[in-house]
Amino acid sequence: MTAQQTLWSLKAGERCEIIGYDTTLAEAYRIRLMEFGFHPGERVTCLQAPAFGAPKVYQVSATVFSLDDDVAAYVQVRLEPRDA
Amino acid sequence: MSKVILVGSPNSGKSMLFNRLTGLNQKVANFPGITVDVGTGRIQAMPERTLMDFPGTYSLQPISAEEKLAVGYFERALQDPEVDHVLCVIDATRLEKSLLFTLQVIRDCQRFGKPVTVLANMIDVLDNHGLELDVDGLAQTLQTPVVPLSGRSGKGVDELLASLRNPVMPDTNGAFANAPDALLRGEAHALSRRFGPGGELLVRGQARLDSFFLHSVTGGISFFLIMYLLFQSIFTWAAPVMDAVESSLGWMADALVPLLGNQVARDFTADALFGGVGAFLVFVPQIFVLTFIIGLLEDSGYMARAALICHKPLRLFGLTGKSFIPMLSGVACAIPAIYAARAIDSPRKRLLTYMAIPLMPCSARLPVYTLLIAAFIPAETALGGLIGWQGLAMFGIYFFGMFIGLLIAGLVSRTAEDRYTDLPFVLELPPYRMPGFKPLLRNAWNRSRHFVTKAGKVIFAVTMLIWILGYFPNYGADLGESWLGQVGHWVEPLFRPLGLDWRYGVAIFTSFAAREVFVGTLGTIFGIEGADENMVPLVDHIHASGLALGSGLALLVFFAISLQCVSTLAILAKESQSRSLTLKMFIGYFLLAYVAAVAVYQLTNALVA
Repeated sequence: MTAQQTLWSLKAGERCEIIGYDTTLAEAYRIRLMEFGFHPGERVTCLQAPAFGAPKVYQVSATVFSLDDDVAAYVQVRLEPRDA
Repeated sequence: MSKVILVGSPNSGKSMLFNRLTGLNQKVANFPGITVDVGTGRIQAMPERTLMDFPGTYSLQPISAEEKLAVGYFERALQDPEVDHVLCVIDATRLEKSLLFTLQVIRDCQRFGKPVTVLANMIDVLDNHGLELDVDGLAQTLQTPVVPLSGRSGKGVDELLASLRNPVMPDTNGAFANAPDALLRGEAHALSRRFGPGGELLVRGQARLDSFFLHSVTGGISFFLIMYLLFQSIFTWAAPVMDAVESSLGWMADALVPLLGNQVARDFTADALFGGVGAFLVFVPQIFVLTFIIGLLEDSGYMARAALICHKPLRLFGLTGKSFIPMLSGVACAIPAIYAARAIDSPRKRLLTYMAIPLMPCSARLPVYTLLIAAFIPAETALGGLIGWQGLAMFGIYFFGMFIGLLIAGLVSRTAEDRYTDLPFVLELPPYRMPGFKPLLRNAWNRSRHFVTKAGKVIFAVTMLIWILGYFPNYGADLGESWLGQVGHWVEPLFRPLGLDWRYGVAIFTSFAAREVFVGTLGTIFGIEGADENMVPLVDHIHASGLALGSGLALLVFFAISLQCVSTLAILAKESQSRSLTLKMFIGYFLLAYVAAVAVYQLTNALVA
């Protein structure tokens, strides 16, 4: 069995589908993420994964957000093949 | 007078539209609680109507205290009979981001029977890229008029004014009147897919620039270059204007003072008005330049990238990447730095940033450091001239202040009660765009004016008090015999553990108006004219006064930590909306500075002995 992949585990250029949220993520944060467009079923692309653990840059719909691990590590995803 | 309220999500171009409609006649008001600015101005084409620009928010379901305040004010506005129209701005290029908030606004307006018009802003950007928004389809589904427009070019403003003149009254039993937020979230997602412009053209251009500005190598180099330019703007570009202000004030004093008949009036005008209050006006150009440059970085979209780059190291101290610019500004002056902290959306992290800013080594500390280092550190070099001890001492005391600032923020973030809401680091990276210079100049002007009118009152009162204490009862003949001199004798026991006599006590006391006053006061006490400009005679007098090395180092540490600046305290109280916090910081930093200074004095004496 492999570990659950999260938004934070994405590398630059990788694309995924959001499948849910970790149950320990505060509800207010979960709602805010959904308001930003990070819905279950939504496709997200990691545009930048800067060095030294800096927040990563994600594209969702037509908007670009930067998320740190304190949020991105709680968003559960399913990785899509590169040519999808 | 009827009111029109302007709402929208952050970065939807709301403020630019506000300025276009009101002709930049913006008045900024602070509301109680946490700072929230609501701009008000008359609509130029309809002078009988006031436009109120509400703070941008992503949702009417708030998660921070600040958002709660903004949402609460919006809800009260809906119950205000004078509010007769709501304008809801959406970013036409990124529809989904704005649509949830728009649906919530439409729902609440339907409930309260307020007409609402949706303004699809930045339509010119879509036109330029050959993209389209289905305006009619969106209006039909929202049951609300939708006006495509551009706040930048003015396209569509006539249609907006027509909509204000002929409002469409909402159906109080409309489709969204009873919709819960969960339903609206799904609806926003579906509507953006159905009516939005689609395509990733805009994001692709942004991603290309991000791959440069956020790259491990090019991103780091460009970051340091941009920050270097920011520093240049604070220290170099503002300096000629600051000198001009200082010269003008000096010229005015020279012209006005001799015209006054009474000696007390002459002394008051020269020393208190022009010398004291005038000294803080010198900082206005610096605030103007810094506000303008920071606005430029924000408007271009770079500021969000800078915050991202700095986030990780600052997180170690409980801060956020958004704390970087305010703290950097604090190296020049804490006042614009505190203003710059407004950009931090997390109230908790903004509070921690407020706590770190006064410990940044501001330019007012420089004359004090220069004097003390010249007096106590030998002007000698080591390693063949590579290392100068005085330069090393200056670097050390600068670094010491920054380190203590970060340390305090880190400690408070780990120990303080969680009274202020924290927010996770989720940062929207706005598209890069060419900044609008006119609104930026206007903003810089407003901020400078705010500094003069708000901080000026407190500074005036304190300056007057210190002048009166120093002037009477012997009419300025001898500072040592004045009430201020008596205060110096009273406080002498307090400073004796640092090896300081009453003269240094007086100088420290007056430096609570502004740190650099320390040098001028010592000059006055030792009877030296122009000690601020030429410190050599003052250094000689300090040596002659028998001040020990331990006392000099203790003073350096004391000035690095203590919060001695009336202007900073006044602005801190205004911006944080908390006199209690300001008082706690003032007392806390004084006590910390005092204890650290005593420790340094005792340690140095023990080592020297």
